[in-house]
Amino acid sequence: MELFENSAAKLSEMLNNKEISSVELTKSVFERIKDTDDKVNAYLTLDEENALNKAAEVDKKRAAGEKLSPLAGIPIGIKDNISTKGLRTTCASRMLESYEPPFDASVMTKLREADAVVTGKLNMDEFAMGSSTETSYFKKTKNPFDLERIPGGSSGGSAAAVAAGEAVLALGSDTGGSIRQPASYCGVVGLKPTYGAVSRYGLVAFASSLDQIGPLGRTVEDVAMLQSQICGHDKMDATSAYREYPDYVGLLSEDVSGLRIGIADEYFGEGVSDEVKTAVMNAVGELEKRGAQVKHVSLPSTDYALSSYYIISSAEASSNLARFDGVRYGYRAKEYDGLVDMYEKTRSQGFGAEVKRRIMLGTFVLSSGFYDAYYKKAKLMQRRISAEFSEVFKEVDVIAAPTVPTTAFKIGQNMDDPLKMYATDICTVTVNIAGLPAISVPCVHEDGRLPIGLQLIGDRFAEDKLLSTAYAYEKTVGGFRFPKL
Amino acid sequence: MSEMNIDIKHIAKLARLEIADDELEAFESQMKSIVAMVEKLPDISDELKPDPDTPMTLRADEAETDKFTRDELMKNAPAVKAGCLVVPKTVE
Repeated sequence: MELFENSAAKLSEMLNNKEISSVELTKSVFERIKDTDDKVNAYLTLDEENALNKAAEVDKKRAAGEKLSPLAGIPIGIKDNISTKGLRTTCASRMLESYEPPFDASVMTKLREADAVVTGKLNMDEFAMGSSTETSYFKKTKNPFDLERIPGGSSGGSAAAVAAGEAVLALGSDTGGSIRQPASYCGVVGLKPTYGAVSRYGLVAFASSLDQIGPLGRTVEDVAMLQSQICGHDKMDATSAYREYPDYVGLLSEDVSGLRIGIADEYFGEGVSDEVKTAVMNAVGELEKRGAQVKHVSLPSTDYALSSYYIISSAEASSNLARFDGVRYGYRAKEYDGLVDMYEKTRSQGFGAEVKRRIMLGTFVLSSGFYDAYYKKAKLMQRRISAEFSEVFKEVDVIAAPTVPTTAFKIGQNMDDPLKMYATDICTVTVNIAGLPAISVPCVHEDGRLPIGLQLIGDRFAEDKLLSTAYAYEKTVGGFRFPKL
Repeated sequence: MSEMNIDIKHIAKLARLEIADDELEAFESQMKSIVAMVEKLPDISDELKPDPDTPMTLRADEAETDKFTRDELMKNAPAVKAGCLVVPKTVE
């Protein structure tokens, strides 16, 4: 077994026992990247020299007997919309092709305090707008389980890198499913934390009221380890929640007896394939065998979530992306006639088609005469969806649902049809709309089959319940198995 | 409402985007189908109020002067002259 194949928890133990060094581990991960990233295309920028220097520094600290974080010396990949000081952060856009942030995102500060080793920056849909990582300006990431298929998106590089062994852990961001959906397609575990649990400072904003940074890993325990490190209040983010967070690893439990699992028919409707329905219900059956109780619940406004999501997210995107004007940073058109022409040419050349579509939709729904018909209605629907979840969480502890309606589709299959692409988010967007946490954990374990994710949705700040339920399931059916690359 | 005319050129102007004439038709048809999808929302007779579950506490408005140097902040600018950002002339 190569070093890169181990879980973060196992590697942490090996490092702690001085069975291996972080330099050896980091070299193993970079060897893997050299062997497989030509096929997978997960990375936009590699930071090998700094990674090896950091690994050597951690080894020195460990040799000196310093008490270190469980993440110390563990190689972690970062989605390219999270600001990394001095390391190119492109959002997979021409607009930020050579942008080097002068500051670290708060999550990066936390990872550096924990002595994690940053491998590099991972591909994504441009400005996180997409569900397949095909809207990246630079390259198309492939699904490690079938190189002709998409890895999902927008955190497609993060999920593919973890699945391929090109990172032990990764950070992604989730605005409408962008951590859970690629985790589902690539057979890894992905957690979208409660809105406000992880600081958004330094995350390049797409839809500020929905965006949330979260962890991806090959096991539930690994995801719990990373989440424990990145959560917490941050004065740099006005929406950051004031509360204390537990060490989620210490709370993991295989005991699900008495756990109340809700099943909502709205998540198993038209468009959800039989294969996905069966895999998800089999997973629920396994939890039931271990003592969980299954209860049918109703979330009647789920059908309106996708509409609300695309109105709110596009409105916020049109406002957030107004800052890209070619003045202070980023791309500037080479030829223009006056200031307004410079703005227009810069933005038209710097943004790709999907980003333009979202900005246009957002501008339209906020424009004079249309605000009440679209944005206000969507915000009221958001409140109703949240209220329905609150009622349901009086009766159950977690809701089980598919993460995505189908398995990963072929590259190029949905590129000309935005609505088909948007429909892949149908099972995930409600969670962002309501600000809830949710996890995707793999529930297909036969070789040769494409991965499918079981999504578990919890009440606000109930990450511990989600992680434990996912952990119990993983322990029952077995964990991650590497694809052949 | 889905049959409404969406003035793509006007919205593009507001968004500071240029849509080429040969892209206009495709853009308009995609926008119409997206708008038809998103407008399927029922009327809810309620007022929008701040969400009590996510209170926002604004920090004090204090200047932090020692975090970045001018050079660090200007490093990513497309055009800089004498420590200032350069833009096309806007005042005659």
